[in-house]
Amino acid sequence: MGLLLFGGGGGLALVQADSITVNARLVLGTGKEKQGSKKVSDSIRKRLAKVFKWMHYHQLSSKKLTIDDSKTVTSKLSKNASIKVTNQKNGKVSVSLFSGGKMLLQKTQALRSGHYMVLAGKSTGDSAWFIVLSKSN
Amino acid sequence: MNENEIQLKVQALVDGELTGREAEELQQRINNDATLQQLHERLTQMRGLIANSELPRPLPESGDFYWNKIAESIEREERAGERIAKPTPANRWLLRWLAPLAGVSTVVLLLTLQQPTAPDLGITLSSDHELELSSDEIDVMTYNSDDDSMSIVWLDYSMDIQKDYMELWLD
Repeated sequence: MGLLLFGGGGGLALVQADSITVNARLVLGTGKEKQGSKKVSDSIRKRLAKVFKWMHYHQLSSKKLTIDDSKTVTSKLSKNASIKVTNQKNGKVSVSLFSGGKMLLQKTQALRSGHYMVLAGKSTGDSAWFIVLSKSN
Repeated sequence: MNENEIQLKVQALVDGELTGREAEELQQRINNDATLQQLHERLTQMRGLIANSELPRPLPESGDFYWNKIAESIEREERAGERIAKPTPANRWLLRWLAPLAGVSTVVLLLTLQQPTAPDLGITLSSDHELELSSDEIDVMTYNSDDDSMSIVWLDYSMDIQKDYMELWLD
């Protein structure tokens, strides 16, 4: 991990140049609203509702993962589902999804601020699971 | 024989349609009946008037020649009709090859038009993403939004995420 010192306008800022922070959200998409559940942000809801049939998106959990350069962080999102996020050297992020200890897939892409990587699938009844990843500013 | 039938018989006699014994018997009856005599005379006079006033209509040619001309005309028209209906070898070739080709082309066009197209979700596939699957049994669909601000991987993999999430906290 490298440290860079920026000076400008009389102020100094200390930035960890090669680490990133990724937000991983576990979301449940349903046709009906669930009372008492936390809703996802409007930004995510609008984007998902534009593509999928479900109109209500409930955020079950949200985890902030700080990952150093070329390092991997594992996060358990539910009892059976977990993700491994790697901060690659080329500025890309690699996300592996595991279910019951078995890897289902690995997705690698450049993840810029304000952009989302979504892994999704069907859940019980008329609902769907979503793992929404985004890069913090 | 009633009166009407007798009058018709008299008419037939005048027209020369009765012959032999039947004509003789009717003639005797007419001779003995004044009313029938009057009817016979009147019909005979009327027939004479009609016969005299009818204009002769001679055929331009002799009868046989006239009907021969009609028969030849009919045969000529039939031959002309056959000439039009029979396709030439070139036409036959065109019909043999173009008709099936036109049929196949129509079927291909219909199938092309009916090809299931991906739903217009306002998102496009991007090549700037790498995806590795650990199992061939899981079907996936990958989409990117138009502005590339959201990439989605939809897995044909069901998870009871809500129950799993609750159990995570109960453990």
